[in-house]
Amino acid sequence: MKIGLEVHTALPTHSKLFCACSTEAAEPNTAICPVCMGFPGSKPVLNRNALEISLRVSAALHCSIIKNSYFIRKVYFYPDLPKSYQITQLEGSVGHGGYVDIGSKKIRIRRVQLEEDPARIIRSEDYSLLDFNRSGVPLNEIVTEPDIASEEELRSFVSELRSILYYVGIDIDKEVKIDLNISLGEERVEVKNVTGIKNLIDAARFEKKRQSDLLQSGKPIVKETRSYSAESLSTVSSREKESDEEYGFIFDPDLSFYPTSGIALGKPVIASEIASSYGKYSGTVKELIMLDRDSLRLLEYGSKNSDIKNVINAIELLKRHRGTSMPNEGFGEMLKYMDSGLLPNEDAISALMQGKPVDLAADVIDAKDIDDEINRLISERPQLVSEYKANKKAFNFIVGMILKKHRVDPKYVSERLSAIIGQA
Amino acid sequence: MKCDIKSFLDAEKPDDYQERLKEEIGALNAKFHMLTAAVNSIGSGFPFSVKDNICVKGVEASASSRILSGYVPPFNATAIERLPKESFAFIGKTKMDEFGLGTFGINCDDHPLNPFDEKRVTGGSSAGSAAATAVIKHHVSIAESTGGSISCPASFCGVVGFTPTYGAVSRYGLIDYANSLDKIGIMSRSAGNIKYVFDLIRGEDPRDSTSVSTEISNRHSKNLIVIDQLMDGIDQRILKSFDRFLSKLQSLGYSIEHRSIPFIEKSIPTYYIISMAEASTNLAKYTGFKYGHKITDFSKGYNDFFSDARDSFGMEAKRRVVLGTFVRSAGLKGRYYEKALRLRSMFIEKLSETLSAGLIISPTMPSLAPKIKDAGSLDPIATYSMDSITIPPNLCGFPHISFPFDYIDGMPVGAQAVSGHFNDYSVIDFAGEWEEQFEYKFNYNAGAL
Repeated sequence: MKIGLEVHTALPTHSKLFCACSTEAAEPNTAICPVCMGFPGSKPVLNRNALEISLRVSAALHCSIIKNSYFIRKVYFYPDLPKSYQITQLEGSVGHGGYVDIGSKKIRIRRVQLEEDPARIIRSEDYSLLDFNRSGVPLNEIVTEPDIASEEELRSFVSELRSILYYVGIDIDKEVKIDLNISLGEERVEVKNVTGIKNLIDAARFEKKRQSDLLQSGKPIVKETRSYSAESLSTVSSREKESDEEYGFIFDPDLSFYPTSGIALGKPVIASEIASSYGKYSGTVKELIMLDRDSLRLLEYGSKNSDIKNVINAIELLKRHRGTSMPNEGFGEMLKYMDSGLLPNEDAISALMQGKPVDLAADVIDAKDIDDEINRLISERPQLVSEYKANKKAFNFIVGMILKKHRVDPKYVSERLSAIIGQA
Repeated sequence: MKCDIKSFLDAEKPDDYQERLKEEIGALNAKFHMLTAAVNSIGSGFPFSVKDNICVKGVEASASSRILSGYVPPFNATAIERLPKESFAFIGKTKMDEFGLGTFGINCDDHPLNPFDEKRVTGGSSAGSAAATAVIKHHVSIAESTGGSISCPASFCGVVGFTPTYGAVSRYGLIDYANSLDKIGIMSRSAGNIKYVFDLIRGEDPRDSTSVSTEISNRHSKNLIVIDQLMDGIDQRILKSFDRFLSKLQSLGYSIEHRSIPFIEKSIPTYYIISMAEASTNLAKYTGFKYGHKITDFSKGYNDFFSDARDSFGMEAKRRVVLGTFVRSAGLKGRYYEKALRLRSMFIEKLSETLSAGLIISPTMPSLAPKIKDAGSLDPIATYSMDSITIPPNLCGFPHISFPFDYIDGMPVGAQAVSGHFNDYSVIDFAGEWEEQFEYKFNYNAGAL
């Protein structure tokens, strides 16, 4: 199986790609102007911020960066396209020839390009409406080579890409449209405009089965465009003639060449690469930081001076208390307690977050005290060990007993309990 | 240099001056059809007209196309915005070949007629701008040139027409024909007026990414260069007159040098390929349902709907959309569009070299303004060949000016001077010096003080 993707995400800019209109208006046709309506006489002016973000995406995908980026016109007729051409990129794209490392292999990236979104069509039974608020919203398109060979690789790729884009400031869950090119045989099938990650996986799974059934029964796979329906979990033929489309691309002479050399990039953050430097903890670290820049910050701050095991425990503890926004200084304090075997409770965490002093007597418990208490309770009730093996809920009694005496995170108590019983 | 803008503004005018001007222009418009609509009221500033493909806020801009009729832009072109309201009085939009596509000014409804002989064309595409300049005494027209649309009608109508360096004047508010070639320029009866207005409207504009702030120079040269190949095919009487003009210039202290630029005739297909390719994308937006001419029958599918709407284009617009789409199509782009881009770069390099040695001088057009019936029966290739002298500077974005240097059988004959990029003042000053000792003739002088 060969899968290639074209992933379109909206860029987090406040204004559109070629005009100053807002990208965030709700009321239809309120964020519009002569430029994004394609009025004769208007001219596009590039939003430099969009170019910068596209550049950061390209760098994070290990692409080589073009010296001077430029735009082309893709000409086709559709009611949602005000100028009857879309301003987009091909050879002039910011990034070319990169990759995403999914561990088992590298999925090659062909291109990272900027383009404008057309207007939104709202279809009704006997009429359609157009909302030009979306016209001109910047899109970033990431085009992969057909290197994805299994559903597992597809999942890994999407999870890596989601993390990479997250660290560039793009939320893939907010808006993503994907064209899925998938072929089991000779001919390529394109499933257009799949929205969201779940639908992408489902569409790929359906196509894999559909195409392999065809192959097994000796029927041909037709080169065609299909669309995915989330209701029926299946793809249907769009009945579009599949010839190589003729867009008559030309350089957009209303725009210029945009040098990339003056744009400060910063080092791209690739969470899985960072995680892999933590040896046997890399799996746990990866889960913590893939989609959480606060956890990454705490990890990098904490692991400079403290034991990595304690740092992970501290971040997990903060995650449970929704406290990962804690400033580095507070986290440093917290690690000091934990490095010396002490456990901060909820009040202590909230004090550390606000930079207030912690009440050592009331809010910080010695971890050893908890272990002692657990051991005492188990020794009083030896039958608990066998009861636990039959029913894990037998725990709750001991957890309850401990929580009566100490204000401590119940999840921590359960963890210690299973660790101690496991040894027993 | 002669400039009547300041003196006009300072002059004591009779109380009914504006009313009289309005009536005179109205009567001349009935005769020569240079304006798109009857003149409303005229303010007290210096009268100016605007080619119909340049947006004036609240005034219909149809680019003389049926498909855009009724389009009222909600904004001013930057060039218009930069004219101080207290000093300039808008008199109207001027007719043109549809979207600028034409050499004679006859590709529109009710086209303008030449004020020197109403059986003859005005030249195009800035046809109405030239005719208005030829009949109104104190006046400038904001015009536009892509391949010769200022020089050609200026020559045929005996006025001064200036096309700046590409990018020197913002294109914001210009309805596109070919974006990499379109230049907003100026027509008037004197080089001095043109310099005055050019200094007001030029300079970088944040709303046009191709506009620049480069300083305009005046490397004025007493060297004039005649490109021999450009003289091929010019009417014999014009050539003889041009020789006398050169002798006169020599007696005024200019030196004349002849040079050859091989393949310069290839600038014509180069220009037409690039301009048609770009035009076919610019004209794609006219689909009959957003602005201007609207189709109200919604019963058809998209493709049929679009085809119906686009039937409103004139013949020349249709021809260029078809050819332009052809030359940029996937299999042929390398042979036509991309090759033309390379040729343009080559011409810019070659001609820049020549222009560093002096101004290129030539007659503007190979003939006098043709009779309307003759112009209308020319085939497209013969028509496109008429642009052989105006195309090189337009293709390369060089500043150039056309001004009258003689009259043959009562018809004006124009000369064109070309200079290097951003050396715009040199051609304006050159025309200004010529005007010191040559009197331009006009049959009409509406609004004469």
